[in-house]
Amino acid sequence: MKLLTKEIGRYPLGIWIAFMALLLAFLAWLMQTYSLLDWERAVELGVQNESFAGDAVERAIADVERGVAIADIFWVFPITVIAFIGLLRKKFIGFVAAMMVFAVCVYFPLFYAFRGSMNFDIVLIAIFLWAVPSFLGILGLWANRKMFKN
Amino acid sequence: MIKPTLITWIIAIFGAITFLPLLGAQLIMILKPQSQKAKDLIIGKGKDWRDKSHFLYSFAFAWADLLVIFPLFISGTIGVFLGQYWGYVLWLILGVVSIYFSIVFWVLEKQFAYATYGWLAYYTYFWGFFLYWGVGAIVFSILQIA
Repeated sequence: MKLLTKEIGRYPLGIWIAFMALLLAFLAWLMQTYSLLDWERAVELGVQNESFAGDAVERAIADVERGVAIADIFWVFPITVIAFIGLLRKKFIGFVAAMMVFAVCVYFPLFYAFRGSMNFDIVLIAIFLWAVPSFLGILGLWANRKMFKN
Repeated sequence: MIKPTLITWIIAIFGAITFLPLLGAQLIMILKPQSQKAKDLIIGKGKDWRDKSHFLYSFAFAWADLLVIFPLFISGTIGVFLGQYWGYVLWLILGVVSIYFSIVFWVLEKQFAYATYGWLAYYTYFWGFFLYWGVGAIVFSILQIA
């Protein structure tokens, strides 16, 4: 935990890790936004796994993915913006919002991991791009919580 | 140290009513995923999985809920009653996750669950409580720790 409080430039290491995890979250929300705008193109690009043009099972899984994408964009994306700006300004609201974003970013890769129908490489990508950085972000924020007084 | 108030108790009891039955059902889902008991609890009495994907995502939600929601609710509630700052942070986090899966299930399951259970059950214990608890816990926790 001491390492996470070591100052590197303007912020401690733990906060830099939180910024990195938030940037990765933005990448996820960008992919989800693109998917909602043009789902089938997103499937072609590999951003989504299942197509609405496939068989009944594939369509049902695509429906789950669409539900997750809607929740990401309409709920977690605005919180991510608040988190990023709040952390930049060392505000308490940034600390709280970032914790919220990281909780979701740990939750949804777990859902993918246990779903069984997801390709293993996608599960690994979700875990290493979002779950692990977000978990480290939680630790980084917690180690530096005294920074956020107002 | 943040002293628990009457609202703390209300949110904690409401949380127990909301999450503990879900966690019980999810535990049965993990231990006996193909049993009729699991189907009765997750999708409705006497019902069957619509297809393989319905079973698979229900199974995945069961694991994710047990690994994330259960520890967050128990440890958050303990922390809140100990008057600890981290207890409210955990409630905040759970509030966000709770609203998150409420939105996912709104998109995904409303047409099925609403038809099966009717509006009253749907907007209360089947779906609504998770959303209401999430909103309540977020607002209250922010006010307590700000």
